[in-house]
Amino acid sequence: MSRLVRKSPSVCTDLPLDNPDVCAKLRLLKELLGSCFGPTGRLKQIHNNIGGHVVTTSTSSVLLSTISSSQPFINMIKTSILNHVCRFSDGGLFAAILCLALIEQTKRSALGASVAVKVNKRLLGLCITYLQREDCGCKVNLDFCSTQNLIILARSIISSKPACVLTDPETLHISKLAVQAFLLAIPCGNPGIVTLGRTVIVSVEGHSVLHSAVFPGLLVDTTDVSCISKTDKLHSTPLSIVLFSASLAGDLPDLGNGTIEVHPGADTDSQILDELLELGKQVVKDEVKLFVCQKVIHPLLHQYLRNHGVIVIERLGITLMEPMVQLTGAQPVATLHTAIPAKAYGKVGDLSIMQFGSKTMLHLIPAGESAICTMVLCHRNETMLNELKVVCQKTEHVLRLTLREPSALLGGGCTETHLAAYIRHKSMNEVTHAASVLGCSQTDFLLGMEGFCRSLESVATTLQHGGESSLIDLTHAHHWTLAADVMKEPIEDSLGVCGCGVVQSSPGKKWTHLNTQHADISPAPLSRDTTLQPCVLDSFPVKLNALQVAVETANLALDVRYIIQDVN
Amino acid sequence: MLEGTIINQLQHVGLQKLSALAGITHSLLGPNKKYKFIQDDMSGDSALVCSCFRIFQNVELTCAVGQLVYETIQAHQNVYHTGSGCLLFLAGAWGRAALECLQRGISVSHIILAMSEGMDICLDVCSKCSISTEGLGEAQSGRCAVTPHGLELQLSKKPIMEASQASSLHHGTTEVGLKTLTTSAQRKIKLSRHFCEAKSENFTNLSQLSQTKLPDIAHIAEGLSHGSTDAMNLAVKVSYVQSKDSDFNFEITKVVTCVLPGLQEEHACVVPGCIVLLSDEQASVAHHLKEQHLKIALITGDLTNSYRHLGFSRPVGIKRVCDQAALLLSSKEEEWIVKVVALLLNLEVNVILVSGLVSEKMIQHCSRHHILVVEKVRASVVKTLADATGAVPVTYATQLSKQCVGTGVTVMIWRDFSNHETKSSVAVNISTHGHSGLVTVILTSCVEGKLQALEDQFWACAYRLHHALKDRALLPGAGVTELLCIHHLQKQAEHHAKHCTKRKGDTVQQTRPGTATNHYRGAVLQLMADGLLDYICTIMVNTGRFSKVEAWTGVHQQLQDCNGHPAKFSQPFPKGEKEESAFSSPMESDEAAGVKIYDNLSVKQEAWRKALDVVFLVLQTDAEVITGIDQKTDTAQENLMLL
Repeated sequence: MSRLVRKSPSVCTDLPLDNPDVCAKLRLLKELLGSCFGPTGRLKQIHNNIGGHVVTTSTSSVLLSTISSSQPFINMIKTSILNHVCRFSDGGLFAAILCLALIEQTKRSALGASVAVKVNKRLLGLCITYLQREDCGCKVNLDFCSTQNLIILARSIISSKPACVLTDPETLHISKLAVQAFLLAIPCGNPGIVTLGRTVIVSVEGHSVLHSAVFPGLLVDTTDVSCISKTDKLHSTPLSIVLFSASLAGDLPDLGNGTIEVHPGADTDSQILDELLELGKQVVKDEVKLFVCQKVIHPLLHQYLRNHGVIVIERLGITLMEPMVQLTGAQPVATLHTAIPAKAYGKVGDLSIMQFGSKTMLHLIPAGESAICTMVLCHRNETMLNELKVVCQKTEHVLRLTLREPSALLGGGCTETHLAAYIRHKSMNEVTHAASVLGCSQTDFLLGMEGFCRSLESVATTLQHGGESSLIDLTHAHHWTLAADVMKEPIEDSLGVCGCGVVQSSPGKKWTHLNTQHADISPAPLSRDTTLQPCVLDSFPVKLNALQVAVETANLALDVRYIIQDVN
Repeated sequence: MLEGTIINQLQHVGLQKLSALAGITHSLLGPNKKYKFIQDDMSGDSALVCSCFRIFQNVELTCAVGQLVYETIQAHQNVYHTGSGCLLFLAGAWGRAALECLQRGISVSHIILAMSEGMDICLDVCSKCSISTEGLGEAQSGRCAVTPHGLELQLSKKPIMEASQASSLHHGTTEVGLKTLTTSAQRKIKLSRHFCEAKSENFTNLSQLSQTKLPDIAHIAEGLSHGSTDAMNLAVKVSYVQSKDSDFNFEITKVVTCVLPGLQEEHACVVPGCIVLLSDEQASVAHHLKEQHLKIALITGDLTNSYRHLGFSRPVGIKRVCDQAALLLSSKEEEWIVKVVALLLNLEVNVILVSGLVSEKMIQHCSRHHILVVEKVRASVVKTLADATGAVPVTYATQLSKQCVGTGVTVMIWRDFSNHETKSSVAVNISTHGHSGLVTVILTSCVEGKLQALEDQFWACAYRLHHALKDRALLPGAGVTELLCIHHLQKQAEHHAKHCTKRKGDTVQQTRPGTATNHYRGAVLQLMADGLLDYICTIMVNTGRFSKVEAWTGVHQQLQDCNGHPAKFSQPFPKGEKEESAFSSPMESDEAAGVKIYDNLSVKQEAWRKALDVVFLVLQTDAEVITGIDQKTDTAQENLMLL
């Protein structure tokens, strides 16, 4: 008997940004994500209330996907950031911090939401136009003739995740590997449409990071080494391989909700087993040397194949299927009830055994050219290894984005301060025009502009976690860090280079603290003869999109008038 | 579990928790371990534990730091089987050091930078003062001579020793082989009745041999026993049994343990072959089969009709329709048993070892046909026997064929406990003719709760020996390595301080903000050294012969005395039961400490590194994110901010 429960009425929150609960939660979220930002960011331990495994991370994708709020308002921002991370891998924390700063600044300036939204939109447009200009002062062109800038780009991402606990040489090693893997995944010599290959990451716990390496081809876990060692050195010609995506465990396929009626005397198990062995016979007849199955293989078939000198790999897993197809050219066989068509067989150039700590792996070397490579990541403990794995996946993705847009932005907070200075200068010059276009007063426009620039600058300040202060120089408007305990005068002695490493401290330079009022500056372009190379670079497409996502999400948040929540 | 500790909310909470967790195991460090009872108030269960790892296994961990520490210890224990206590202690000590640094206003990045450097210094000291296991024990007097400035322990006699050593070693092995063979032949008769006598005779024989013929393993083992002399003696005996006529000295994968409650601890012994406990019924089969050459089959799954291999999903939605009276399920099983037994008889199999379970009926059927079935056999035993007999392990009994059956197995009644009225009452030895190297260590105790700890102790000793042979190097033990590290850390710290004062007047060098010279390096290194100092002192206090103050002054005295000649460190405390004065002058110490104490190189390095990794992770963490909280009910907790 069903019981009728009276529905409770929906909860409606008017002007959510004026709601103290929402504001407190926004502040908390900003603090939580802001404290994770940058190479000296703090880590978060994520664990369930009941207990169990603890995840230590400062990565936005890991952190944001685990938290959920009772406030739909918070969840909206969260989802928007996660979507950005999903498409671009990096820049999640940047987007989140900027978005939350924009909301906070607007609230503090007491500017009307609609005006703020309009101003933000206009300034975002200004930013994007500037960043896409050839002579943009904070952009660096990536030269594919040298790997230097690619390695710096990779290192900037890897070093911004302190939960990996890497020393400087280790960071460099991993950065080089990431670039190497990226380059291996680009097929060469094929004119026409190019499909990028894949990098498969294999993690090995308990080894030094410096043992990590990249190999062309695939590394697959094997349980049975003995059968391979015998056939180790036989291969001069490519080996034939068959790949099954169907389970060969000998069980009946999932019937769903249906039923089968069988005679009690009928032994379905042995009938399927007969089919499996039939399959085995064909494979042996066709001189297949490598038998790979995504799922489980029946022990009897396993034994049969092994006795006939076939190397068997089972439980390959869904993630390795696609790389396996790309590497060997085999077509996955999805059924065991028909004979295997000849064109389903693939080829492998060579096989060898690799030993990494406790892991024994079979190395499949492609027969021809193939853009599949395997990255073996080693680290001393699981927590750090997990973070390293996530970071390497991100790095790979970001490096790939450079193919579409071969440029990068200066890192270390310099792009943010530079951009803020540019926006200030530009808006000052066109304040009357802008105000009339937006249909607001000049004061309102300047107020909105100030909020926007401060938000950008606050992202740079968020990089600091140890009480250091942020400075900006009055020529290039780059970001500088002043250690908390430095009392020395003059100031230029305690500053080495700026955040991105392009500008060097010199006696003639002037600095001012970031959060103080300073004279309008037109950021000068970098002198061409500088010998300094940037040491921190951020991905251009990632930052551009993160900027857009942050401003648009903030605008949406500012626009929300009511939240209607169904609490049933 | 941290209820008893006061956590200062103004300081780094995680580091305080880490230090509190480490405090639990202080009394478990060093050779004189005290047992601990862990009691569950709810269920009334209790556990007797004697190692850091077992404590964490038996305690409910409520905080994230606890969970992180447990995961780290577990990872370490699974690979090394020893050194978890050292790991946890140093994680706590260095956690306190980091806490102190924070209080002095040193930033997190500076702490990490300096501590990583400190770790590099320590690991460097380890690799420099490590002693090669080759020629160890024979070159006793020349071994520990130390160069006056470099701190490297000189191995002056090594090159000369090596050649002669190699030949004598070889000679030694063969002789030992002969002797032990004879003793084991005697034991065959004696052990069944005069268990105790035979054992002690065996032991004296072996230890005598160990001193004369194979000095390396015995010497190394003595130095690595760290107070568990009995357990280490067993490990040494394992090595003798294994090296009888094979080329390996010590193969840990071929060692199994078998615990027998109800016997006195002195009855522990080492037996070649695999000892299994069987019921009376199976024992009669064993009686029938003894002294014969048997054929063996190995099965990795369960030996039941209904068993299916891993990954096989049982069909759902199958309806059996029939026109006659349904066959009973039991008769189906019966049918299967008959089929399998017929197959076994056809293949003339006498012994089946099964990794999984075997149905009662199957055992009965097999017993009737004089086939010995043993269930729940370890995977390592199956593998070793497969290698030794040529048998191929299969998943299903129906898979068995002529090629899968191995030969050359004998079954012996090793000891009959029938009158003890336990379920498994007869110990049977399954061994091979060709030497498989398979060795069973029998561990006994009258107190059943202690067996776990005894087993852990044995494995700790066995793995220490294993790692020593694998590393081919050892560290000077009994705190000497730690003292050397302290000395070096302090030297670096002082050097840094001098360097800083000298620099002050100079023009300032150009540096990048991230890599600006670390002004706090000296202070951090000093605190790290204090952590190691604390470790040595705690172990000294645990020996029961020193008060905390005595330990501190003693160690400081040593450090001071050696400042002139930094290389002359004696062992501040003997880890064994020896009664020499711990603080003999450096000159006398070599003679006085008759037993050289060693530590494992790789284990120590890895434990230190892992300890520091935990500290780094906790140090950098500023918040816990707890998921799965019901916002309506759990809001009462303090320090909880809800998102």
